[in-house]
Amino acid sequence: MHELSIFWLRAAAALYSVGLLHAILTVVRRSAPLFRGAIGAFRVGVILHLVSIVERGVSVGHLPVDNFYESASVCAFLIALVFLFVHWRYQFASLGVFLFPLVFVLTLLGGMEIPVAGWQNRSVRDAWLVVHVLLILLGYAALLLTAVASVFYLVQERHLKKKQPRAFFDRLPPLGTLDNLITSSMGFAFAFITLGVITASTWAFIESGTRWIRQAKIGIAFLTWGVCLGMVFLRTSAGWRGRKAALLSVFALGLSAVTWAAHVGLRTLLTR
Amino acid sequence: MRLLVTGVNHKTAPVEVRERLAFDQNALGAALRALMKRAGVVEAVILSTCNRVEVTAAVEEDCPVDDMLEAFLAEERGFDLDRIQPHLYRHEGREAIRHIFRVAASLDSMMVGEPQILGQFKAAYAAAKAEGTVSGFLETVLTRAISVAKRVRTETEIGQSAVSVSYAAVELAREIFGTLAGKRVMIVGAGKMSELAARHLRRAGATHMLVTNRTHSRAEEMARLFEAEIVEYDRFKAALSEMDIVITSSAAPHYILRKDEMRRVIEARRNRPMFLIDIGVPRNVEPAVNELDNVFLYDIDDLAKVVDANVQARHKEAEEGEAIIAEEVERLMERLSARAVAPVIVSLQEQLEQLRCAELERVRGRLGQLTPQQEEAIEALTRGIMNKIAHGPIAELRKNAGRPNGIPVVDTIRRVFRLD
Repeated sequence: MHELSIFWLRAAAALYSVGLLHAILTVVRRSAPLFRGAIGAFRVGVILHLVSIVERGVSVGHLPVDNFYESASVCAFLIALVFLFVHWRYQFASLGVFLFPLVFVLTLLGGMEIPVAGWQNRSVRDAWLVVHVLLILLGYAALLLTAVASVFYLVQERHLKKKQPRAFFDRLPPLGTLDNLITSSMGFAFAFITLGVITASTWAFIESGTRWIRQAKIGIAFLTWGVCLGMVFLRTSAGWRGRKAALLSVFALGLSAVTWAAHVGLRTLLTR
Repeated sequence: MRLLVTGVNHKTAPVEVRERLAFDQNALGAALRALMKRAGVVEAVILSTCNRVEVTAAVEEDCPVDDMLEAFLAEERGFDLDRIQPHLYRHEGREAIRHIFRVAASLDSMMVGEPQILGQFKAAYAAAKAEGTVSGFLETVLTRAISVAKRVRTETEIGQSAVSVSYAAVELAREIFGTLAGKRVMIVGAGKMSELAARHLRRAGATHMLVTNRTHSRAEEMARLFEAEIVEYDRFKAALSEMDIVITSSAAPHYILRKDEMRRVIEARRNRPMFLIDIGVPRNVEPAVNELDNVFLYDIDDLAKVVDANVQARHKEAEEGEAIIAEEVERLMERLSARAVAPVIVSLQEQLEQLRCAELERVRGRLGQLTPQQEEAIEALTRGIMNKIAHGPIAELRKNAGRPNGIPVVDTIRRVFRLD
């Protein structure tokens, strides 16, 4: 009975992934060519998600929030509903940049309750992990660039505000150039880290079933991703620049350093 | 060859004197021809700008010149020599070269680092070249001066920063936005200063402009000038969030833009940077607006401070320029001196070669029949001896060339080898 509920949930996650793609394209390319398709797929996804929850609810005889996976699924569903309402009522499309990835990842996690068969091919397993590491490292590099450019932006902004010409900081690029750099690097950081989180989750799910989800380092990794998501959202919707943006990007970079430190030794998994 | 420069500039003569001494571009050719007729003048060039009139001439070494150039200037421009004498400066030799280099590099300009002087210098050189009054010595100095000026501009930042209020505004806009292409500009109050700033911004690529003014006819006039749109004065605030740069120079006796209004504007812009240039007196924009993130407000005093700082920076860069010029003067002096002893060296080498050939010819009969290898060996031997003899004197000539106390050494070598 649970298998059918999980099936619908995974189908919903697949539909939500269009929303994720839309969010990545919006941040990286600064245009939203996929929004209509994404919102359509999202609506269908919400219906399938509802079917999954109802199916599970009928099976257990109450609202299915008994474990982490069920809670994640219900939480994702409620967020999806709220988004659809806000979009219908206020046409707040840019909220999708934040909520589409969040709903997708929560649904993906919810769908990991029942283990699938192990790796069929060992080289695929290893390659998958290497791809994950590469994606995450690319994401961190882009995040580093974002943080550095944000601090430079802050310095240049203060310099212009103080009206002290001919300072040392004359050599910094113009604010407009730094702003473009921040937007691009942040977009790439978000895209790489999101794809890295997805590859990591699926790898760990196949490798270890459901044991990994409660580890502290996994929590930190998801928190880092969440901060990146928040940063991207605040940038694209509220246009965060200057001090707040610099602090947030430095915080995200710090968290990513902690996540990286927590995951040092991942390489040894390849030899297992 | 002696190099002389005399003239007046903005530091030595008031404008009433400079304007009377100035040469019309069309009369420059005739003046150069007249100068060349003076005794001893071999080459000449005249530089005439609004801040400077100076005559440069290369004259024969042993020709007494006294105040020949000063007299030429006075006679040519209808002045009494005694009247202009106090305003004239005069440089000779090394100092003249240094002066010419400083002028071309804009270190002697009223606004240090201004770029026009190099163009005027090149034009003066071209006019002299066209008249055939420069060749050889003076041409070497002038072309070198042009290269030195370029070097100073490249290796220092003497011409980098804006030294006018309106151009300083454009430079600041570039620091904020990078490129100004596609940036939207609003002009509030169509005064002369805002017109000038708008002109600079437009030239820098900001093509989309809006104009608003209490007097509609003046707004229309400016809109025509910049192909700008007109916005009614009582509605211009509604369009502010679309603007990247706002220039205000309204005659309003109170602030027309306040912090609260600008906070809403910047929120509507989603924090995209905005540059406010307030050139109104009294000020049009509440100073506290500058406290808002991503809003950059500069009033007329702020812009003036930028200009002052830039001027000071130019003077600092000028010190580096002076060092470059000192180095280049030395280099050119060495070149010119080497050129002066070159005929002596050539003469010495010819003398020794003739001696060698004559001596070889004299003893050839006694040597009998020689094989080609033996001929070659004797050639090499005698040439080697001559080169070794010549090496010392040539090295001394080169070393002493251009040195004030080197002339006796050169004369001694001439006498010893009977080079006359």
